[in-house]
Amino acid sequence: MKTTTLKKLSCIGLAVSMLSGFVACNKNTEEETSSEATTIPDQIETTEDPDANLPYTYGLGKTFHADQPVTYTMFFSDASWYPMVDTWKTEGIFKEIENRTNVTLDIKSYDSGDYMDNITLDINAGNAAYIIPKIYDDSAFVDGGAIVPISDYVDKMPYYTDFYNTYNLADDIKTITRANGKYYKLPGMKEANLINYSFVIRKDIWDAAGVDVVELQKDWDWAEFLDALQKVKKYMVAQGMCSESDYIWSDLWCGNESGQGSGGNLLGVMGSTYEVNAGWNIGNGMRYDQASDKYIFSPTTDNFKQFVTTANSFVAAGILDPETFTQDDATATAKYYSGKTAIMSINQGQWANYEENMTAQLGAGNFENYVITIPVGTTNNSTVAPERLENGVMISQKALDELGEDGFIQMLRFVDWLFYSHEAYDLTKWGIEGVHYDVVDGQKVLKDGFCCGGLGYGNDAEGSMTDIRLQWGYAGGNFWYGGTVAEMTDNLIPPVADYVNRDAEYRDTPPLAPGIAPTADQNEEINLIATPLISNVNSWTLKFITGQEDINAKWDEYVKSCEDLNAQGLVDIYAQLYKGK
Amino acid sequence: MSNLEKSTPEFKVEEIHIHNRKNKIKESTGYKVFTVVNTIIMILIAFATLYPFLYLVSQSFSSKEAIIAGHTSLIPKGFNIDTYIYVIKGQHNNYEFLRYYGNTILYTVIGTVLSLFFSCMLAYPLSKNKLKINRFLSPFVIFTMYFGGGLIANYVLILKLELKDTMWGFILPMLISTYYVILMRSFFMNIPKDLEEAGEIDGLNKFGVFWHIARPLSTPIIATMTLFYAVMYWNNWFNAKLYLQDKKKWPVAYYLQTIIRGGGGASDPDAEQMSANIKSCAMVLTVLPIICVYPFIQRYYVQGMMLGGVKE
Repeated sequence: MKTTTLKKLSCIGLAVSMLSGFVACNKNTEEETSSEATTIPDQIETTEDPDANLPYTYGLGKTFHADQPVTYTMFFSDASWYPMVDTWKTEGIFKEIENRTNVTLDIKSYDSGDYMDNITLDINAGNAAYIIPKIYDDSAFVDGGAIVPISDYVDKMPYYTDFYNTYNLADDIKTITRANGKYYKLPGMKEANLINYSFVIRKDIWDAAGVDVVELQKDWDWAEFLDALQKVKKYMVAQGMCSESDYIWSDLWCGNESGQGSGGNLLGVMGSTYEVNAGWNIGNGMRYDQASDKYIFSPTTDNFKQFVTTANSFVAAGILDPETFTQDDATATAKYYSGKTAIMSINQGQWANYEENMTAQLGAGNFENYVITIPVGTTNNSTVAPERLENGVMISQKALDELGEDGFIQMLRFVDWLFYSHEAYDLTKWGIEGVHYDVVDGQKVLKDGFCCGGLGYGNDAEGSMTDIRLQWGYAGGNFWYGGTVAEMTDNLIPPVADYVNRDAEYRDTPPLAPGIAPTADQNEEINLIATPLISNVNSWTLKFITGQEDINAKWDEYVKSCEDLNAQGLVDIYAQLYKGK
Repeated sequence: MSNLEKSTPEFKVEEIHIHNRKNKIKESTGYKVFTVVNTIIMILIAFATLYPFLYLVSQSFSSKEAIIAGHTSLIPKGFNIDTYIYVIKGQHNNYEFLRYYGNTILYTVIGTVLSLFFSCMLAYPLSKNKLKINRFLSPFVIFTMYFGGGLIANYVLILKLELKDTMWGFILPMLISTYYVILMRSFFMNIPKDLEEAGEIDGLNKFGVFWHIARPLSTPIIATMTLFYAVMYWNNWFNAKLYLQDKKKWPVAYYLQTIIRGGGGASDPDAEQMSANIKSCAMVLTVLPIICVYPFIQRYYVQGMMLGGVKE
């Protein structure tokens, strides 16, 4: 009898809790849908009031300075290859920030590899720092209420507003805006995107093979590029540098290690030139199509077929090593460094590394590297991402709760100075002018005795120079990113600056896709459809490219497999989110 | 009678002899081939298992240039010990690697001693069926094997206890392993009751019975558990990742984990990978004590699992 009563009570209890849960969910949905979406303004009007009696100095062109010493907590992504040491706080970057602003940063650092895990844990446990930098994807945090919707406060930030207005970033910002019309991170903003990934070639071999790459690259397409590579291979075979059965292009960042089964960098770059998502850029496959003014599932388009056909032609011609898509990065670099291959992927940060390793292998003067401008596919657009945004900074709700509205705005104006002022950009990237670097003919150069791996200034053979990044924390990845073109290029060494400039000169800027703002539920649905679908696309793509499947014979079967995995479902969700111009 | 007595053993010897010879004849074809093939396969498997480690050792003594060129094999190329000196000294010449090593030794010693003590303290009463509280306590302990509070709840607990960034934040969350406690409980159950009762008659209290009678009789399980706990503390990096923000308190396993992982691959343009020789060297140094000790204690691993598992 007792048991029956207990059972009944438990059932009633469960029913009540389920019902209340259901009501709570319903209420939430109503709130979500009824709240009127804010719109992102083309220009932000600042609410700066210079006459206000504030306990700090701030404003465009001024250094933020608090009258009384203040301390703000900040998370910090600590890289194991230049780990934070005490000197950063006692005499380095944090000390100098304190000297200039009277703000002490209470750093809560985590190893960069675990950074996102650890700060997610801290934020969810109510232990967030006030300032949370180095955030690429903020979607995990926006619904929890632990992060301030920063778009409500950006009008209080003169440096941010100035950059936003000067370079018309409204459309870019719309790409990170949520369904409620707010955004939650202060993104790194760029005047323009500069190319990062391309291909480095052994120009000495290419020249000897009679390929005038400097002239060709201006408007070459992938077929002309293949012709050039075939000439190079012919020359290498004739010279005994390789045999007919060897491949002269065996790339890195495409295998299982970095390519994540998608073909990585190579297919990402090549796909961009055909206006399709592939490789690292596959995402969920959805891409904005200018011509039809709607979002399409790009992996089943004709452009995608052209792209895989082109990629396959390199394998079929015996140029591109099919092991590219499975091998370790170290295997690929070993082949290029030792002269077995004549082309390989590169990014801005790798030039010095390649040069150093090849000098050790082949000897100085026995090789010449050159970064090419990427061939053209169906478009002359550059392969850079259209959004001019970088990783950004979130501000925790805890800061608002603990500092109060006025204290919070004071902190925001410090953050504004630290992440968006030219003064702080130069400080965090180059150190102190006159102490660590000088400006000579408008160019920043490190003073004698200093080096910096992060800025491309290597140490001498004896290792006698002081690395300003290792010793004092300048040129670290937590602070400087984005900025004007002049700022972004002020440390580029000539060969890198050259290929960046060539890309800007020979190629067009890709158009920005209109922003869409899926709700949390839609995001979940998109992910549910996209995960198996993209896995299928990647698998077929690699089979087509490596020649395991015949593209013409199997294309329809591939498209059908994507349809079976509900590619149309994705298109429908995007159609709901974007109704056209 | 005496003839018969004499003849019997002779017959037996002959039988055994014949039996063995028969076996040998039977084995000579199929079994011999099997043995040879089996041995070859085992050698290959052993080599395949050993190869990565030997390669690692070879890499740690090779020059960076040889590694980049892919010239390393089982014999170091460009032999040098500079990498070891570099790893031990650290980027800032502050011998941080030795500090991490010291931390690991400290955590392992303190953690193992405490774990053993508290595990015994829990397992011993659990082994007494006559204790009524065990009806509640046993399921309560076993429950924790299958269900936990979850990461965030544990994290909040450590935060509220102000254990984050302390040695205790690393040790306490793994102080008692339920599985090991159950193994120990099973072992304690086999200790004869008569001995314990004799101790009580001689005037020992409950703790005295445990300390002077049960503990000395449980040396095999305590030795095995010492090993298990020590290896657990030595290898653990996850608690350090969660609870030790201050780098000065990191154990060597977590330091190793961060340098092996390096940056986030090429997709993170800011990232740089540590040289392969530095990674290999740190791995060899970290695993060395375990490698040295393991051959001598390996049998305890197998025995340990059996010790508490069989109940007479």
